[in-house]
Amino acid sequence: MADLKILAVDDSPTMRRIIVNTLKRAGFNEVIEAGDGKDALAKLKAEDINFIITDWNMPEMDGLTLVSNIRGSEEYKKLPILMVTTRSVKDDIVEALKAGVNNYIVKPFTPDTLKEKINEILNA
Amino acid sequence: MVNESLQDKIKNEVVVLASSLKEIVDKFNKLQHPIVESHEKVPQATQQLDKISDQTEVATQKMLDTIEAITEREQDVLEGLKGIIDSDVNDTIKSEVNKLTEKVDANVNDAYSIMDALQFQDITSQQMDHAASLLEDIETKLNNIIVVMDGEQEAKEPVEKKVRAYDPHADVYDKKTNQDEIDSLFKQ
Repeated sequence: MADLKILAVDDSPTMRRIIVNTLKRAGFNEVIEAGDGKDALAKLKAEDINFIITDWNMPEMDGLTLVSNIRGSEEYKKLPILMVTTRSVKDDIVEALKAGVNNYIVKPFTPDTLKEKINEILNA
Repeated sequence: MVNESLQDKIKNEVVVLASSLKEIVDKFNKLQHPIVESHEKVPQATQQLDKISDQTEVATQKMLDTIEAITEREQDVLEGLKGIIDSDVNDTIKSEVNKLTEKVDANVNDAYSIMDALQFQDITSQQMDHAASLLEDIETKLNNIIVVMDGEQEAKEPVEKKVRAYDPHADVYDKKTNQDEIDSLFKQ
């Protein structure tokens, strides 16, 4: 847990701050932030990221395109990805699943759910 | 005789037609004013929504600053209380310090609950982006109507749209799919 470096991708500064705080409370102290998919891909190259938490609706590059980019990359295709988004329509969730996310949480989330899903992915 | 009668009939029809056309033009002119007025007000409504969104964001950030400051101070208090418990104090003091520790823990948990509740800001901001986007569409349509009414051949300048990334179904309370259903989708 201590070695895990998480990339939190969300265009909302409020959400990023809440996610970072929640992660730190759960013992995940190394968290890098990105404001959209493009920024996330740049951070991915610059940092040694082990886990990604991403929103869906973002300007420049949305979360689904980010997931497709990561899954299509030889270097990062196995990175665990948790999507945290407001999109709760079943078809959207299935689309995210098909794009390759490892799990999915609908906002607003509870700290327990976030921690639980991260651990489920890490222990899978 | 027949020709004269036909001419009269045609003349009468033309008079009626001209009168109808005049009525249509008058109504059209009357319509133009409220349409132009509405067209001018729509961007104001859009700007107002964006302003609410921006100011809520700033206020939420200030609240997060305060929550972080409170929780940091409370962590220091907890450390201090732990130091007292670990030192050579009698059971009465230990018992009182334990009670205080419980209260500080409760304060910290409440502060984090407030922080979690602030997720509403992202969701309402998306709802406002959706509303603003609908207003921008209305503005474009009104723009097109005004072009037709003015008899202009070329369209007016296109409505300048802000880049908006939002979920049209974003909702604080109504989740279309609950976490159990999501989990079962991922287990399949």
